[in-house]
Amino acid sequence: MTNSLTVPTTQADTVRALRRTRNVQVRRLAVVLATCCVLLAGLLATSLFLGGGRVVAADILPAAFGLRTGLADYVVFQNRLPRALAALLSGALFGLSGALYQKLIRNPLATPDIVGISAGGSAGATTVLILAPTLPFGVPLAAILGAFALVAAIHALSWRQGVDTYRLVLVGIGLSAVCSAYTNYLFTVADQHSIAAAMRWLIGSVNDATWEGVLTLGLALAVCAVGVAVLGRGLSGLALGDELATGLGLPVSFTRVCALLLGAAAAALATSVVGPIGFVALISGPISARLVGGEHALGLSAFVGAVIVLGADLLAQHAPLISPVPTGVLTALLGAPYFFWLVLRRGAGATS
Amino acid sequence: MSDPPVPVTPIPRTGLTRGTAVAVAAILALVVVTVASIGLGARDISPLEIIRILVNPGGDSYNTHVLWTERIPRTLLGLAVGAALGGSGMVMQALTMNPLADPGVLGVEQGAAMFVVLGILFLDIRGVTGYFWLALAGAGLTAALVYATGTRAAAASTTIGMVLAGVAVAAVMASVITLLVVRDEAVYSHLRFWSVGQLTGRAKVLGEALPFMAAGLLLALPLGRTLNVLSMGDEAAAGLGVRVNRARLLGAGAAVLLCAAATAAVGPVAFVGLVAAHCARMLVGADHRWSLPLSMLCGAILLVGADTAGRLILEHGEIQVAIMTAIIGTPFFVWLARRRNLVRV
Repeated sequence: MTNSLTVPTTQADTVRALRRTRNVQVRRLAVVLATCCVLLAGLLATSLFLGGGRVVAADILPAAFGLRTGLADYVVFQNRLPRALAALLSGALFGLSGALYQKLIRNPLATPDIVGISAGGSAGATTVLILAPTLPFGVPLAAILGAFALVAAIHALSWRQGVDTYRLVLVGIGLSAVCSAYTNYLFTVADQHSIAAAMRWLIGSVNDATWEGVLTLGLALAVCAVGVAVLGRGLSGLALGDELATGLGLPVSFTRVCALLLGAAAAALATSVVGPIGFVALISGPISARLVGGEHALGLSAFVGAVIVLGADLLAQHAPLISPVPTGVLTALLGAPYFFWLVLRRGAGATS
Repeated sequence: MSDPPVPVTPIPRTGLTRGTAVAVAAILALVVVTVASIGLGARDISPLEIIRILVNPGGDSYNTHVLWTERIPRTLLGLAVGAALGGSGMVMQALTMNPLADPGVLGVEQGAAMFVVLGILFLDIRGVTGYFWLALAGAGLTAALVYATGTRAAAASTTIGMVLAGVAVAAVMASVITLLVVRDEAVYSHLRFWSVGQLTGRAKVLGEALPFMAAGLLLALPLGRTLNVLSMGDEAAAGLGVRVNRARLLGAGAAVLLCAAATAAVGPVAFVGLVAAHCARMLVGADHRWSLPLSMLCGAILLVGADTAGRLILEHGEIQVAIMTAIIGTPFFVWLARRRNLVRV
């Protein structure tokens, strides 16, 4: 981290330059974080107030503080608030998992949504939902199991004297197709389920989010945040390359496996509540890296993901002409052009 | 970024004996699959009964009715669609020199399906003939887009770049389809078939769809020799007196036509072209004069076989053929992706 603008002459100069760079970075991070928080608050308020129906806008604010009963109270606390919070929390989880994977695998395309880990989680969740709906905690656990199985399968299948990241992406795309086919098949078997439910598990939607789901997401986010904080040093070490990190005494394989499973669990738990909302994991990491860069990008990607899903859900609910649609449709329409750009970008294919 | 230099050695010719033997075996397999597809289902009909009904078409038993109005049209449609997809996959692989090319994997079928949905919703088009022209426009545009993106991609090779571009295109197209049809549950359940290809209830489109598929197959069949020359590389082909651009355009046109006809008839069905082309190449080698027709045969066997299996697995109802082909085709795709010469580290 040297400042290229000034040529340090003495040690004091160097220290001063480094400190100045660091201050600039911290200030930038603070500004970006504050902007994200303001955006999130604004989007949250908007999604509470918008929505038409038979609730007057003037009733919303009092209802949010528990001063109204009946319909307004119900709409705010049983419909809009859980939905908005589910969007926020699932977005944060998707963003975090995507950035984690991009950092670990060092390929911007190797995110849980592209390589099918979300689809695996969705397949697991759907299996329990349709075959054993009464199992306690069955859906989140099955989602995690499905995602872990996918991680293991992708690794085993793309291993050939080392893992080539593009082979990994290709294998993941293939396995993703199988998981979608399987989920599709389950809904063919269980015809009593509505098309809306099928859409949720194939495309992803925060529609019909419940407080139970919000609780799952909140716990998952807390665990993942702690996990990322604990793994943080090891992750920065991995960025130096495996040999150097081993030389520094870091447990390379252990850190990598933990981080892979943590990312998969984050994506799976988010998927178990809102379905495989696509392209959020893909775009959050690079956006936050562009905003702040360096080691803070990983944490920031959670905020970016939250903004993306909450914003996309607002559009999915209220945009003229197209609404209402599942949230995943909007994120795909926003994210796929970016995916195109990633594929097209010359010379930067292999590293994020 | 750079692909390995394409070998200028001509493709080894396939011997007449080997080709004939494989062709006879494939035709036998096709006959078996066809009989199974006609005979098996919610109501099993024995092969002898089938022959009796075929030589005596005028009967009015229940079996006769089922056979003529349901099973036979459905099987013929499956054969035609499978052959079209098999031919399309082989031509695409030969033209792009990409072993992962497939009309479904590259998103061309999704593009065709999106145009069909647009036509149904906004132009009020009904009937397979209308669908076909829409599907042709959609498939052509998507193929051009994926080819342009894939060959300019920064990914490890154009092979991978094209697949990634196809995934992105397919995601956008599928999202647009959902966006257009999701609001009305009745419309959605009617159009759902355009996002998951199936043969169920499509028997009646056979008459309308067949001419397009026949035209595509007849256009593609004589391309074997041209594809052989093209796969030696553009310069070598030009040196041998082939007008490279014209030949490529002709091949691409045939591939898109076949893909559009298949999609217009049954909706997007991925992986059939991929698996069929590789099976054909494994059986008779790379010589396209043999492998192209054989790929069509393999595609027909695969699609009808998958459809029959999809009818038998469940006790009630059936699994759409696109789901079956995805489950059969993905292990194949993963196996191909693992091959050393495909992805260089």
